[in-house]
Amino acid sequence: MLEAVQLTKRYSSLPAVQDLSFRLQPGQVLGCLGPNGSGKSTTVKMLTGLLEPSRGVVRFNGRAIQEDLASYRMHLGYVPEEAHLYPYLSGWEYLEMVGTLRGMGRDRMYLKIDSLLQLFSLHVARHASIGTYSKGMRQRILLIAAIMHDPDILIFDEPLSGLDVTSALIFKNLVQALGRSGKFVFYCSHVLEVVEKVCTDVLILRKGVVIAHDSVANVGKILGESLEKTFLHLVDDVDTMNVARNIVEVMKAA
Amino acid sequence: MIGEIARQEWEYQRDRPFGRLVQLFVARIFRGGGDTDAEGLDLGVGLVLTLLALPGGFVSIFLFDKYGSLLQWLRGQTNVDTLLMAFPDEYFFIVLSMTVTGAIAVWRWDAIFPDRRDHMNLAHLPVATRTIFSANLLAVVFLVGLVAFDVNGASCVLFPMVVSASQGSLLFFLKFAAVHAVGVLLSSVFSFLAVFAILGLLMAILPPRFLRRVSAYARGLVVVYLVTLLCTSFVIPELLRRVKGPAPSWTLLFPSCWFVSLCQLLRLRANPAMAELAKLCVPGITLLTLFAFCVYAIGYRRHFVQISEIAEGTSVVHAPLPWRWSVLEQLVLRTGFQKGCFRFIGKTLLRSEAHRLVLTGVAGLALVLASQALMRAFEGMKSAPQAAMTSEALSIPFVVSFLLIMGLRIVFEIPSDLRANWIFQLMLDPDQECEPLARRVIFVSILPWLLVITFAAYLYLKGPVVAVLHTLVVATWSCLLTNVVLIRFRKLPFTCSLPVFKQHSIVILISLCFGFLIYAGSTAEFESSALSQPMRMLFLLPVAGVTWYIPHYLGKNTIDLERKLIFEETTTRTVELLRLSE
Repeated sequence: MLEAVQLTKRYSSLPAVQDLSFRLQPGQVLGCLGPNGSGKSTTVKMLTGLLEPSRGVVRFNGRAIQEDLASYRMHLGYVPEEAHLYPYLSGWEYLEMVGTLRGMGRDRMYLKIDSLLQLFSLHVARHASIGTYSKGMRQRILLIAAIMHDPDILIFDEPLSGLDVTSALIFKNLVQALGRSGKFVFYCSHVLEVVEKVCTDVLILRKGVVIAHDSVANVGKILGESLEKTFLHLVDDVDTMNVARNIVEVMKAA
Repeated sequence: MIGEIARQEWEYQRDRPFGRLVQLFVARIFRGGGDTDAEGLDLGVGLVLTLLALPGGFVSIFLFDKYGSLLQWLRGQTNVDTLLMAFPDEYFFIVLSMTVTGAIAVWRWDAIFPDRRDHMNLAHLPVATRTIFSANLLAVVFLVGLVAFDVNGASCVLFPMVVSASQGSLLFFLKFAAVHAVGVLLSSVFSFLAVFAILGLLMAILPPRFLRRVSAYARGLVVVYLVTLLCTSFVIPELLRRVKGPAPSWTLLFPSCWFVSLCQLLRLRANPAMAELAKLCVPGITLLTLFAFCVYAIGYRRHFVQISEIAEGTSVVHAPLPWRWSVLEQLVLRTGFQKGCFRFIGKTLLRSEAHRLVLTGVAGLALVLASQALMRAFEGMKSAPQAAMTSEALSIPFVVSFLLIMGLRIVFEIPSDLRANWIFQLMLDPDQECEPLARRVIFVSILPWLLVITFAAYLYLKGPVVAVLHTLVVATWSCLLTNVVLIRFRKLPFTCSLPVFKQHSIVILISLCFGFLIYAGSTAEFESSALSQPMRMLFLLPVAGVTWYIPHYLGKNTIDLERKLIFEETTTRTVELLRLSE
């Protein structure tokens, strides 16, 4: 079980996340929603061990991850928000490097890289430098890097950004399949429809505080409407229609 | 057999996380640094190493003329003390080695330390941060060795060959080569470590939000120091040779003196001052190494391990002062195209590190040459008004304007993140405003302060007539030079890919050297003799007329296709198909 207990993170006394707690069971896909600055990325970084919480703890199978980060990360697959890759490496070289750093055996690693590159339609471009890849191609490389060692925990931070329609559909099915195969999946996104479709549970953050945490069906029931409307009701104080009208007025202004 | 073992060891290490990290960091130091994927001056490892090796090799070959026994005999030089003759050249090689290695360290400044990209790619993997630290350190050590060997490899073989050509003794060659290699390799290592230590120190003491800004100035200062060091090669050997008694305190500022003294000591040719300086080499390098690695460790801890915390914070940016731009826009710029692009050019010059660095290097060279000219002007205990009328003093504004105009012209060619130039590609430039725009940028950046300083200095020293005439000549020559360097310029600065190497590039380089001599040297010589009789200044009018007419004529005879704004430099095909049948 992956467990966050009263996680709090402060940046020079300003709280980014406050008292965040949840439990993630094998097979559960937890979606994390929230507007910009709500603390999603900070939460992801604490779950991956990139940030140390100011207070609280993340436990995996009952053990605090900070006690042995290296062994925790052996079980972790992570797709970061920004696809900052080394542009001078080819896709194959990058995956080979990640596999080596994860301690994968060469034969197994090559077999997996080759198969996954084919399945993600990147095999043709595998020896081209990443600098020449489109945003979607880079994102697919990151996805392969996250799953190639068969991790138990998968943390996706905006994984669909830049993906084409087919790849996005494949990915949505992949997340559901990963959940069914007993993985722990934490899924951060702005795309409410995707969270609604692929996640079993949802966590909504606002200004670093959890304002809703339940199954997707139950959160929707709060207002008896779709997740999108529920989200807007819970999180945003903004009248989106009004803002759109104002933008057009400013555009047309002399 | 050894090759096979080495290959197997390499294969084994490549499959280990540590070996793979070292490989990654070596590649990163050569080919990519910073947090962005911006296209910069990525020349490739092979080309970089070749370029680094070239200066030492070329200089050695040029010295054949000096050391060839037949040529010495033809010049009537007999009983030549070869080691004494080689002393200034050895100093030059040491300075060259320090400058090139230091410049490499400054160039790869952002790539030496692990950055945010490394953190995002590596920190979530099951690799300990100390492993990343050690791998990067090993990559830096490897780089120091590689650069030192590469920069000095050619001179370590060719220079001793040239020097010992007249000796005919293998032992002399071997001894000379060994001592020379020790001197230049140590100086290279020292130079790299010094820059590494400065960077590490800044990272260790500065908060992250100040680091970027301060490090830009620090890099600029290092570049100016390296240019100064290179320029000392014409003066310091003679000064060192003449020192009687203990080493003067200024030698502490130039570590190149320590290393050339070490060479002299190893050849048993050192005077007491040199013997004293030579003793600084080993403790100096040892202390510098320890210091560099200590500050590297602290800097790594502060900036890499805690990068997540840094990345989350937002920095406070002060609002720019809009009045500076609006004043310029009202005085100099006319159309919307010019106003928009002028701001972009100005801000790129002020904020892009690569562009600032090149400009700083050029400005440093201008400063050093101007200082040398000023010193020469005062030789022979002249008074300030007397010195002001020498050709050396008169050449100062010409030297500065030539180098800065050429520097700006070169900087215009360096792209700034080409992926962002789509916005300019969408714009229309129906009136071919690129050339006037570039001209205005050069004028605004250089002329106002240069002319004010020149006029004020000569008004104070020589009165209004000389001040007006000299300022007028500097202004006219700067305008004409700007016109010449912008012939057929049809790009927006920084938005076009780097120009490809053309066959006539070497001719352009040689023309530049001659141009500099004529522009700065001959004009000042003429002025020195003509300013006392102002009517003689009229002789400059026809020269100015011709220089104005040539770019004007070429501009008038340019077809519309050649005026079109370009965003990519393409090579001209040697053979062009006419496709008459289509």
